[in-house]
Amino acid sequence: MDLTLAIIVTVVGASTPILIAALGELVVERSGVLNLGVEGMMLIGAIAGFVVQFHTGNPYLALLCGAAAGMASSLIFGFLTLSLSANQTATGLALTIFGTGFSALAGSSYSARPVSLMEPLFPAELAAHPVWKVLFSYSFPVYFSFIMVVVIWYFLHKTRAGLILRAVGENDQSAHSIGYSVIGVRYMAVMFGGAMAGLAGACFPLLLTPQWAERMTAGRGWIAVALVVFASWKPFRLLAGAYLFGLVMTMELYAKAGGGVLSIIPSELWAALPYIATIVVLVLISLRRDASTNAPACLGKPFLPSN
Amino acid sequence: MQFRLEKRQEPSKFMAYATPVAAVALTMIIGAIIFSLIGYDGVGAVREIFLTPLTNSYKWQDLGVKAAPLIIIGVGLSIAYRANVWNIGAEGQYIVGGLCATGIALLTWGMTGWWILPLMMLAGMAGGMAYASIPALLRTKLKVNEILTSLMLTYASVQLIYFLIRGPWKDPMGIGFPQTRLFSEAARLPTIIPGTIVHLGVPIAVLVAIIAWFIMSKSVFGYRMRVVGAAPHAARYGGFSENKTIWLAMLVSGGLAGLAGMLEIAGPFQRMVPGFPTNYGFTAIIVAFLGRLNPLGVIVAGVVLAITFVGGEVAQTTIGLPNAATGIFQAMMLFFLLAGDILIKYRVRRVMPQTSTEVA
Repeated sequence: MDLTLAIIVTVVGASTPILIAALGELVVERSGVLNLGVEGMMLIGAIAGFVVQFHTGNPYLALLCGAAAGMASSLIFGFLTLSLSANQTATGLALTIFGTGFSALAGSSYSARPVSLMEPLFPAELAAHPVWKVLFSYSFPVYFSFIMVVVIWYFLHKTRAGLILRAVGENDQSAHSIGYSVIGVRYMAVMFGGAMAGLAGACFPLLLTPQWAERMTAGRGWIAVALVVFASWKPFRLLAGAYLFGLVMTMELYAKAGGGVLSIIPSELWAALPYIATIVVLVLISLRRDASTNAPACLGKPFLPSN
Repeated sequence: MQFRLEKRQEPSKFMAYATPVAAVALTMIIGAIIFSLIGYDGVGAVREIFLTPLTNSYKWQDLGVKAAPLIIIGVGLSIAYRANVWNIGAEGQYIVGGLCATGIALLTWGMTGWWILPLMMLAGMAGGMAYASIPALLRTKLKVNEILTSLMLTYASVQLIYFLIRGPWKDPMGIGFPQTRLFSEAARLPTIIPGTIVHLGVPIAVLVAIIAWFIMSKSVFGYRMRVVGAAPHAARYGGFSENKTIWLAMLVSGGLAGLAGMLEIAGPFQRMVPGFPTNYGFTAIIVAFLGRLNPLGVIVAGVVLAITFVGGEVAQTTIGLPNAATGIFQAMMLFFLLAGDILIKYRVRRVMPQTSTEVA
């Protein structure tokens, strides 16, 4: 019983950053933009969050600064792809290379310096009983990620602004001709995606390992991009996908700690499993009939008004 | 006064050549300013990273050795990207190529014979091709995006190195170090200039680029790649199968990445170690773009990126600039290059405010 609870708590911790980053990317892609720089923006958010936590010890400020840093870096991508119609694939890759280098430089004097992890949101008495622990023992970003699933679903499907965003992603020329600013909407979406990626990155030092390590996001940003495809661009499916991956990653942790049956399989295979699982999931998704029909029609294509 | 973009009748040839040069120049200027602002010796950083490796002749051998894998992988990627096939897992194909070559070197350990190196080369290329064929198969059969699959396979291949060198391939005399034994003489790449570290891979890289340039500009294969990338509809109409093109692009780029992996393992490394993945596969993406997806341009771009690697190490020892600065300079180059791309298809026109309000 205790082990099951511990596993659930670990799964939630591992899933949260992926879910937050993937939710941001989902909104970006729904507006018709493919930003492959999630991994880079997460690293920038991670180092920003770490530095703020290290100097102020205020995790909320750290999360906020992580989000701000991620948003700032997304503006580089936005300017190049939206204002200058640069190739989105190449620019996203460039952003990831930049984020990797930038975070490594900014963090070079902070290696092996510990910070304190973020405290749970609710008082410890509430989480005293094991069953309540499953519900009340997490810190703010976990609850934030759940709320955002609902908020983004509501925004996309129940609000006028969400409808406009989807219209821009499905048919940019029509949206433009009725008078909506395609570029403006996409800028907002890209900035939102950047803020979410940055916040997700800040979760790494605040929730998972309380220190700075180069490339500490270890490809989670890419998994987030893959999850959006897996979820067929739908927020609730994203929630399921992120937790599936959190479970796989948690199994790796238990295998490394020498957890019984799990240790029969070499630890390297466990470490490779999230990436292999991503491929398997993409394959399974492609077998479904509605797989590609859900993709926003204008995804990845630069917008140039025809008139 | 306002500026407006106006579509050119034809893409500008001049801009296609001028923008990479301008991107490097801008990176040096803006880089110096930014690094000064964040408290480093900005001018010194640019001098050490971009100029010292060129002006000090004893650094030239390092340039050649670093440029070789970048050029070989960059040539392969430039061919794939021409055809709009986004193989970004060259790092993984490089790793598997290196692993396959290591396998041959360990099997033939203690043996002599001229055939060992060519066999390693074939194994390296076959390994890279095999690893690239996974994304190719998934893309052509199931329409799975090759960007994500090729990248995920890269992360998985790193774990394969760890598994092999901690387990079955571990050096029996290695006092616990996770590495393979040192290759025997016959499995090591000879140096071509006595007294230097310049190995056979350097001329091979130049040769690969020249052959690729010839094939891309003079053969049906090259024509197919360029047409499929530039005008997919026309290509389909002209009878070029899209799937066949994807396969060709993945196999060529994967095979070349695997060759680079073999040359690195048999040249500078001479044994498999955890530090074998050196990001050449990712940096080669910048090389391919900076070289304008042209194999001859890739030679120049490979040397430019090699300069920043060598210079980054120089700057680390002389002015204490962290090694990560190199990555920032490299990414800035790519940013400026991508931003400049718009000048190839568009020209900037000055317009008077009255006319612009009329238009709006």
